[in-house]
Order: sequence, then structure tokens, then C-alpha cells
Amino acid sequence: MFSRRTLLAGTALGAGALGLSACGGGSGSGSGEPLTTLKIMAPLLSETAPDPEGQLHKAIEEFVGMPLEITWVPNSSYGDRVTVTMASDNIPHIMVQTGKTAEFVQTATAGGYWDLTDILAEYPNLTPENPDVAHGASINGKTYGVFRLRDAMRASVILRKDWLAKVGLDEPVTTTDLEEIARAFTEEDPAGDGSTTYGLILPSWGGYGNNGPYDLWETWHGTANVWKEEGGTLSPAFLAPEFIEANISMKAIIDAGHTNADYATMDAATWNDPFVKGQGGIIADVSSRGKQLLSLFKEADPEGYGDKVTMVGNLKSPDGTLWALPTPGYAGYLAIPKSSVQTEEQLATVLGVMDKLSSEEGQRLLNNGIEGVNYEVEDGMSVPIESEEGSLVSSDVSAFAQIGTQSNGYLGLSSKPAGEAEAAMEEKRQATADSDLDSAVFNPGAAYVSDAYTQNGAILDQIVVDARLKFLAGQLDEAGLTSELQRWTDSGGQQVIDEMNELYQAGA
Amino acid sequence: MSSRFVSRQDKVFDLVNILVLLGFATLTILPFLYVLAASFATEVEIASRPFFLWPNDPTLETYRYIFSTDTFIRSLLVTICVTVVGTAVQITMTLLMAYPLADPNLVGRGLIMRLILFAMLFSGGMIPMFLVVKGLGLLDSYWALILPLAINPFNLIVIRTFFQQLPGELREAAEIDGAHEFTTFWRIMLPLSKPVIATFSLFYAVAIWNDFMSPLLYISDSSKWTLQMFVRQVTISTDPSTTIGNLDPNYIPPAEGLKFAVIVIATLPIMCIYPFLQKHFAKGVMIGSVKG
Amino acid sequence: MTMTTTPAPDVPVGLDEAPVVPPKPARRRSLLKRLRRAPALYLMLLPGLAYFAIFKYAPMYGITIAFQNYLPFLGMGGSPWVGFDHFVRLFSGPDFGRLLSNTLILAFLNIVIAFPAPIIVALMLNELRKQMLKKFIQTAIYIPHFLSWAIVSGLTYLLFALDIGPITVLFNDVFGTRVNFLADPDWFRPLIMAQTLWKGTGWGTIIYLAALAGVDKNLYEAAELDGAGRFQQMRHVTIPAITPTVIIMLILNIGNFLDTGFEQIYMLTNSLNREVADVFDTYVYFMGITNGAYSYSTAIGLFKSVVGLVLILGANWLAKRFTQSSLF
Repeated sequence: MFSRRTLLAGTALGAGALGLSACGGGSGSGSGEPLTTLKIMAPLLSETAPDPEGQLHKAIEEFVGMPLEITWVPNSSYGDRVTVTMASDNIPHIMVQTGKTAEFVQTATAGGYWDLTDILAEYPNLTPENPDVAHGASINGKTYGVFRLRDAMRASVILRKDWLAKVGLDEPVTTTDLEEIARAFTEEDPAGDGSTTYGLILPSWGGYGNNGPYDLWETWHGTANVWKEEGGTLSPAFLAPEFIEANISMKAIIDAGHTNADYATMDAATWNDPFVKGQGGIIADVSSRGKQLLSLFKEADPEGYGDKVTMVGNLKSPDGTLWALPTPGYAGYLAIPKSSVQTEEQLATVLGVMDKLSSEEGQRLLNNGIEGVNYEVEDGMSVPIESEEGSLVSSDVSAFAQIGTQSNGYLGLSSKPAGEAEAAMEEKRQATADSDLDSAVFNPGAAYVSDAYTQNGAILDQIVVDARLKFLAGQLDEAGLTSELQRWTDSGGQQVIDEMNELYQAGA
Repeated sequence: MSSRFVSRQDKVFDLVNILVLLGFATLTILPFLYVLAASFATEVEIASRPFFLWPNDPTLETYRYIFSTDTFIRSLLVTICVTVVGTAVQITMTLLMAYPLADPNLVGRGLIMRLILFAMLFSGGMIPMFLVVKGLGLLDSYWALILPLAINPFNLIVIRTFFQQLPGELREAAEIDGAHEFTTFWRIMLPLSKPVIATFSLFYAVAIWNDFMSPLLYISDSSKWTLQMFVRQVTISTDPSTTIGNLDPNYIPPAEGLKFAVIVIATLPIMCIYPFLQKHFAKGVMIGSVKG
Repeated sequence: MTMTTTPAPDVPVGLDEAPVVPPKPARRRSLLKRLRRAPALYLMLLPGLAYFAIFKYAPMYGITIAFQNYLPFLGMGGSPWVGFDHFVRLFSGPDFGRLLSNTLILAFLNIVIAFPAPIIVALMLNELRKQMLKKFIQTAIYIPHFLSWAIVSGLTYLLFALDIGPITVLFNDVFGTRVNFLADPDWFRPLIMAQTLWKGTGWGTIIYLAALAGVDKNLYEAAELDGAGRFQQMRHVTIPAITPTVIIMLILNIGNFLDTGFEQIYMLTNSLNREVADVFDTYVYFMGITNGAYSYSTAIGLFKSVVGLVLILGANWLAKRFTQSSLF
């Protein structure tokens, strides 16, 4: 375990070692030779890292025709690891970037990553299927990485199906319907046992513009998605009157006691609990939570779980207009550092591998695994194979999915629902996602990165989050909310607005 | 002490003392018992019961899952080995340095103490440290988990204080007898310092055991991961509500039961060291007898 | 009975130059003689000195990052220099006053509440006569140290939840009020202190128990023979024996005065209590999360270190002046 060489290096460090820290540059990956091994760095989202000798790893190496050296880094600290890696001379050929982090944006604009804007078109499987998402994923119009495609429509309202039946109400279509359901869930004993219940479950939400329940409510009431475009200029969505109106109606629900009392502090990690315990009956979040809740009810009651959970998509405003809140449609990038991939030939090799991995076969390897080992195909859907070998591969799949991009569209298999209720829910999700997409309110400023926002964005967002919640909690009145939001503009927000408009006009 | 007359006031004091300490001990142990109980509970039970000390429907499922792969067992073994070797190396280096610094006659002592203090307060940060470790060729070596933290200045200073408290006469006596300094250290000072050595070995062991940054930064090969990498991976779930920008929808937070089970497995072994060390705290040393 | 030492006040503990014991003429030797006296001592120092040189001082150049707009890709050579920009930004920022006062209040509470707690508990443990009980309590109270802040904060949310948390329910019943512990700014600091005490007190006792274990048993016997009661023994033997350790620990803790801890505070912060919760450590996080503000956080770290250095030197000077213990 401790080799003799490192033992010597470790204990006998003489004075000579003192100067070592200075020599960061030099040897290593920096040469023009053809690449023989592909090094990748990726965040690990699953519990264990794949074994490099594992079946899936080997299968992927064989498929791309090149040995892979993948550094898996725990997701919670991925940024730190990226930082030190970029400071060293041992940089991978493909670096997964989890989003438009300052480090990525600054490094990319300083020339640290290959600009792929005009190159990707040469690779059929790397050509984005959806140009809108591709534009949103760009940095001020330039492409510094292949984005990783994700569902654009995920917003859902998840409700207790049995409670709805008990109070005799239909699934909500408008926000007014939801207000009525929240009232009935609080006042009409939906559980049927006299226990205290409420309607909407709201956790403490510390972010702005990240598809939280308050963001959803605002968009449903006509608030723009982060940036509002009017006559060719952008302004922050929360400075528009719709934002305040939406929050007035949300405050009414809270004041009436139709939500959990601890909405300001409830740990978002325990969001499911009141729903499972039968305390609250409505959650406005992403659709995958609906599936999660269904499986929790299934665990408790494998027979009668089917009538517990139902799900609808985005809600219409009181006047019947549908404004649906989409996600950015992607989650991070695969970027190629110039210091490790130095020549056009090397770049072609790396992109070639990525192109292969984005083909139908490649996508299935990364997203489904190995057919016949961990899954089989039934009705065009994947069904897991229960075996020790299979579960090892399945566990690796959840890690390898992180290095798939499918920017050309998802070609992998979706997994077959485990039961009738799941199948019904999945079908409904698919249908609402498709119809909501037509009414999606996209963020017109998505592609633009303002320096001022990079500097102060987190602090500025905090002003909005706090003001909104203080208003809902009654600590600020409407005038107070307006003046707090004005503070956003005064504390550096105006500069963000100016820079965004400059970029927007240059890009549009 | 035990045989002497116990006054009424003493009895009241004893009773209050015991009650207060027992109350505090209960407060500290209950949450851990909850973690233990929850590690044997089903997901539904964890979601639906706020606090419990005994699961209604005990299950070994999570533990079975954890031990179904050899990754976890391997990382447990790695962590134990690194902790044992690392603690030995670190406590040795610290004792070796603390001892001379306790000598009032050491030339340059003040300067060295000031340099140590400065190093305790100021650090070059993550990146230069990474480059040093890399420069020494320690990346992906277990030594990278040990050597960069070999001497904790805080521990060093406190150990030195302990050495200073040992009667200087002992040292001088040994010196007059012509004993080699190292012999004095080894034969006289160390045996007198058992409680200190036990304490700081524990501190070092726990620090290595709980260290997460070193393996994160210096170990790329996931087959060499220590336990804490898994603990963090499982227990620090990314919270969508505080994520700036959208969380990757592919991220599925780990099951609650798994979190609790991993915490239990990762804390029990290191927690068990303490009772073994306690005998060194149980009774005071007999300095007189050493001197004879 | 051989009394080799007298209680600490008369013992040259932790002394450097303080001439409590009349200097023996033999001590005043020439530099050369002193150097030659014990070559083994200098040999023993070597590994430690090498360690500090390589792992502490060699990376120290990284501090200059605070004066740059550092980008890892460009390296230290390529990143632009910005002088004191980051410091100006910190000190002139609209939040600086609030950050400073919040940090100072928590730091102060740490010193007056969290610091003495383990000493008191250690003294109480020392008075326990039943060894089994003592061992049990010691082991029990040190457990929380091993639970991460994420777990501690999860438990806090569970116990103090509005209207349903067991402690909230109990509190409301006893005092007849409805308290929102987690959101009320007035309760933020008490909660933080409660967490700190709960998690750290037991662990903190260890070092004092070790100091107590080092007390010469003969001292107690001698005191007892002199007719000293239990509290007199505590006052004249036990407390003097751990005083040097306490003073050194206090000095070292003062050096980390502005470190209030990030995770603990961050996890207990929400929109309603943020005005009292924002401290330097959480601010750095928010600046860094979008900003990649490696330089900015280095600058704040440097500021905290300088403050720590000033405080620690001051504390050391005071300790040297008024007590027998000091660092140098």
C-alpha cells in the first residue's frame, strides 16, 4: 500500500524539495502526439464510483476504440477539484463543467477551452437538435462545450389523489383551482379522520430563478423567466408588476393557513415527509418528485398505492392563459481544455469519441447499460435484469450518464414503468410536458453572461429571495417589497441590467 | 480519596454533579441512537415518524446493500490502514518537535515558536499545497493523506505546553547523570506523557479518519478512496432549493436510510478508540515514583 | 512522600524568560555551549522543521493570490495583479458593518460560552468517583463530535420545527407562547450556541482530562493530609494544574477568533434570520459560488489571519505579563 518510492519521497524530503512547489509547468499531457488514452474528469452523482475494470467501462472503451481514464469526483466538491486541476499541468482531455460557473466562463473566454462554435456542425451526432437550447447554453453566443441535454418541461403539481376524491374536486387547471383545493385540503378533512391537514407544502427556498415553487407560481401568473424582454430591452422579471401580483396571491394562501406554517424554514430535503405522513396534499415541483412519492406509497402499501398520487403540469393563470416554466433544457457541458488537447488532430480525436458516444448505440451504453446484462428491451423500453452482475452495471450506468451529452436528442431507451399507476403517471407526464412546451416562457437572457452578475450575482439574488419571503411572512408590506427590490438595482443590479442589454443587443 | 469522610455537602454536590452530567450525556447520546435506529428503518418509516429510537419494522436492507459491493469494504480497510500508519507518523513527528521546543535552553526557540504560530494562522491555500504534493510525486499515494498534515501546529503547541509542565528537575538530573538527551526523552519524558500521547494520537487519528479534502484533491483513483469520500457522497445531498442555477435532474438524492447506515459504519470504528484510551486518563501519573 | 513539584503558581510552567525561579548561574552559558550541550535536541527538531518548510512555508506564496484576479488556468504568473482591490471591495461593501458585527458577536459568544464549557465539564468529570459512570459519560458526550454539521442541522430542524418539533412543543407548553425558533432572528444565536455546545463540549473535555491526568497524585495526598476539603483541593490542586493548558488553549482560540464556521451557520440561515446570520465565512461562500472568487476569498482569509495574528500576539503579551504561561 505504501510503496518504497513514496516512502522515500515522503520521509527523506530534504532541502531540495523546497523549491518544488514552484515548478507547476512542464511535462505531461502537453504534446502534439496523437492521443492514445482519453482522460475525462466528471462529477460522480451515484453512491459508488465505477470500477475501471468493470464491464461497462470496458464495453465503452471497446466501443470508442480507445482506453479511457476517468477521474470521478464527488459532486458536492466538484468545483474545488476542477480549480486545482486547472492550476496543475495534468489536465484531462474532456472536462465536465456543471454549468456556467465563473471558473468555466472566465477560463473559456480567456481561451482555456476550445471554441466549438463552428466545429460541431462537422459531427452529425454533436449537432444540437434544439437550437434554442443550444443558444441558451452558449456563452454570449459562443459554444465552448457540448451541452448535456435534459428535459425542458419538468414543472408539475403533485396532489393527493384520494384527498381530491374525498373533497370532491377535480384536478386543477388554473391557479384559482389550486387555491380552492388548498382551501378544501385544509378545511374539509380530506384524510377523513379529523386530523389536521393543510394544502400546499412549501419548503424553505433559498434560490431565485431555479424552478422553485415560488418561481413557478410567479410564472403561472405571467411573470417572465428571470429576464423580461420588452421592445428589445431586457429588465429583471421581478421588477415587473406581475411579480408582485403573483406574490400577493401566494401571500393570501399562506395567510389563510392553507400551507404548512413553517414554510420559511422547512428543510427542502424533507419535502416529501408531510405528503407521506398525510399532513399536506400539494407539492409544486418537478415531475420526478411525483414518481418518488408514488414509490414511497408503494413501499408502504404495495396493493393500494395506486390512488394516492396524481400529477398535473403547469397551471393556467386565473384568466386562463398558460405560461409554463421550462428548465434551461441542459445541465452543464463537456468542454475540451486547450492545454491538454493542443492540436486540431487531437481535437478531432476527442470530438470523434464524443460523437460516437452520442450515437444511438453510444447513448444506450451510457444511459441504459449493456443489453442482456443489466437490461432487456420490452416494447421499446428497458427492463432491468435482476442479477448481481446486472446491478453492478446498473450502478455504473448512473455514473456514466454524466459523460453523455445527447445534445442531438435523446436516443436511449426510457425505462419501463414498474406498475399500472406508474405507467399512467408516466404517460400523463409525457403528454403534459409536450403540451406545456408550446406555452413555455423561455429566459431571453439565458445565453448572456454579465461580468457584474458573475461578480455579485449570488448576493444580488439573495436580496430577491429574502424580500420575497419577508413579504410572504408579513414582515414587509407591498411598499417595503418594492423598495427592497429597488435595493437590488442600487447594490450593483443596474450594472447587470446595462451589461445584459449590451450583450443582448449585440447578440440579437 | 475514596476512604475519607464524606460530608453532607459533598453528597449533595455529588448528586447534582452526577445528575447534570447524566442529563448532558443523555442529550448527546439520544440523537445518535436515532441515527442508529433510522439506519435499520424503512424509507417510509423515516419519512413518517419524526423521532424514534426503535424501528417498527427493522430491516437490514441498507446494510446488505452497502456490503454487497467490495468498494465499501475496501475503503474501510484503506481508511483503517492510513489512519494507523498516519497517526503513528504524525504523533511521532509532533512529539519529536515539541520536546526540544520545551527546553528553555534551546537556541532559536522563540523564533521557531513564532514561525509555527505564523504557520498556524496563515496558509498558502489549496492550490499551492496541491502543487507541492504533486511536485513531491505524492498524488494518488496514501502518503498524500498523511504527510501534508503531519504536524498540526495547534497540537504541537499544546503538547509543548504539557512537556513544559513536567518538572525541569527531571531533565536536569538526567543531564547531570550524563544521559543522552534522546534517552531522557525516550526513557523519562515519554512515559510521563502517556495521557498527552493518548490524547493527541486520538486527535490525529480522528482528523485523518474524518479528512475529506486530502483524498478529494490528491487521490484520483477511486479504488483508493477513503471512507469519507463515500460518506460525503451519500450524506451531502445537493439541495435544489439553494442551488444557483438548476440542479442536474439526473441527480437522485440518496435514500435516507442509506445516509444513516453510512454514518453508523463510518463513525462506529473511530468512536471505539476512545474507550480504549480512557485508561490513560483514569489515573494521574506518579511523578514522584519515576524520580524515585 | 516526595513532593517534586509544588502547585502550579510556584512552578515555572510554560515559561521562557520569566524569572520565577531564581536563575541558577549554570544556566547562563555561552551560545556555543548551549548549542553543543544537546545536539540530539537539534536533531529531533529537523523532521519538524523540514515539514514546516515544505508543507507550510513553501506554499505560502499562495497568499499573493489575494492581490490578483487569479484564474487557475492562467496560473499565478499569468493572472492580473489588482493590488488591494479585493480588500477595498470588502471594507467598502454595503454589508461590511453587518458582517463584522455579526461575526464579532458570535466570536465573542464562542469565547465566553463555548470555550469555558469543556473546562467546567472536565472539572465535573474529575469529581466523579465512580469510574464506570465516568467512562460512560465521557464516551457519551464525545459522540456528537463525529456527526457532521449536516446531520446536526438536520436534527435541529427536526427538534425545533415550528409547532411540531418536540422541543418547540415543550417550550410552548411551558411558556405559553408560540415561538418560531428557526426563523426568529432573536433565537438564531442561542440556537448556534446550543449546537456548538452540544457538538463540541464533550470533545473539548479530552484535552483538559489529559491535563488533569498529568497531575501528580502526591499533590492530592499532600493536600488531604493538610486537611484540605474537596473544594479546596479543586481550588488549590486541580485548577492550578490545568491553568497553563487553559491559557494556551485560550490564546490559540483567540487566534481563530473570526472563524465562526461556515457549514453550521449556513445550514441554519434562512431569509428571515439572515440579517443576524451573515458572517464573513458565509459571505465568502456566496461571493465564491458564482464568482469563482478564489482571490476574493483568499483576501478575506488573509484579513481574518491578520486579525488573528494581532489578537494572538496581544493575548500572548497579556498572558506573559499576568500569568506564568505564554507561547514565547
